[in-house]
Amino acid sequence: MNEIKMIDEHLLNNGSTEDRLLFDAMLILNPSLPEQVMWQKNAHAMVQQYSRRKLKAEIETVHQNLFNKNEHTSFRQKIFSIFG
Amino acid sequence: MATEINFGTSAADREKAFIALYKKAFPTVAKYVCKMGGSFDDAKDIFQDALVIFYEKKVSQSGIVAVNEQAYLVGIAKHLWSRRFAENCTLTPLDQQFDMAEEDGLQPSSAKLMNYLETAGQKCMELLKAFYYDNLPMNTIAGLFGYSGIRSATVQKYKCMEKVRETIKEKSLAYEDFVE
Repeated sequence: MNEIKMIDEHLLNNGSTEDRLLFDAMLILNPSLPEQVMWQKNAHAMVQQYSRRKLKAEIETVHQNLFNKNEHTSFRQKIFSIFG
Repeated sequence: MATEINFGTSAADREKAFIALYKKAFPTVAKYVCKMGGSFDDAKDIFQDALVIFYEKKVSQSGIVAVNEQAYLVGIAKHLWSRRFAENCTLTPLDQQFDMAEEDGLQPSSAKLMNYLETAGQKCMELLKAFYYDNLPMNTIAGLFGYSGIRSATVQKYKCMEKVRETIKEKSLAYEDFVE
């Protein structure tokens, strides 16, 4: 738990100067820590990808609604008239 | 009339905001893309990528400093179009391409891992998304996910981060072609 929090603060650059110095020291003293940092970085990248995919899916749903539902007919016609 | 866009805290709030942005800014982007020789699908792709960037900027701690947010969104879309157009004309080295591109082509192993996290770890991924991507405050997250308070939501957030990290570690060893 504490390790996760500590690595997170390091990755997000949230810690104080002392925290950063302490972390640098721990990277040297704890041989498994650099590897854990790498995995946690991967986890952050995965959360970012997951979130973008979800957001893109939400946007696509909005698009489908705008271009298929009756209530948005005038908007749709406005767009299609541009592309003729 | 420029109004400030608020993405709120829920999927329903975001839907409203995206509909408003579509109605206000998509016609301008569509006209621009059409004038530049692009199709409806080009306009759609460019606009949707622009919306993702707009959203990420808007919810980030620094936020968007623009008097007219709709004009800002149109600006992002035009920028994306000119980049894409330049890419089609010349061979752009991969590392200079916009970083959204990497989202579309997940490595097979990453896709498998994503699939696993989307199904087996969905609740955790949603919690982590709310905190790290949507940048929602912890008390809002506690409310949305039914935790008694900030403290228990924070504990759960770190537990989820640990779970995802351990899953990636474990699955990476199983999927040999995993690339960071």
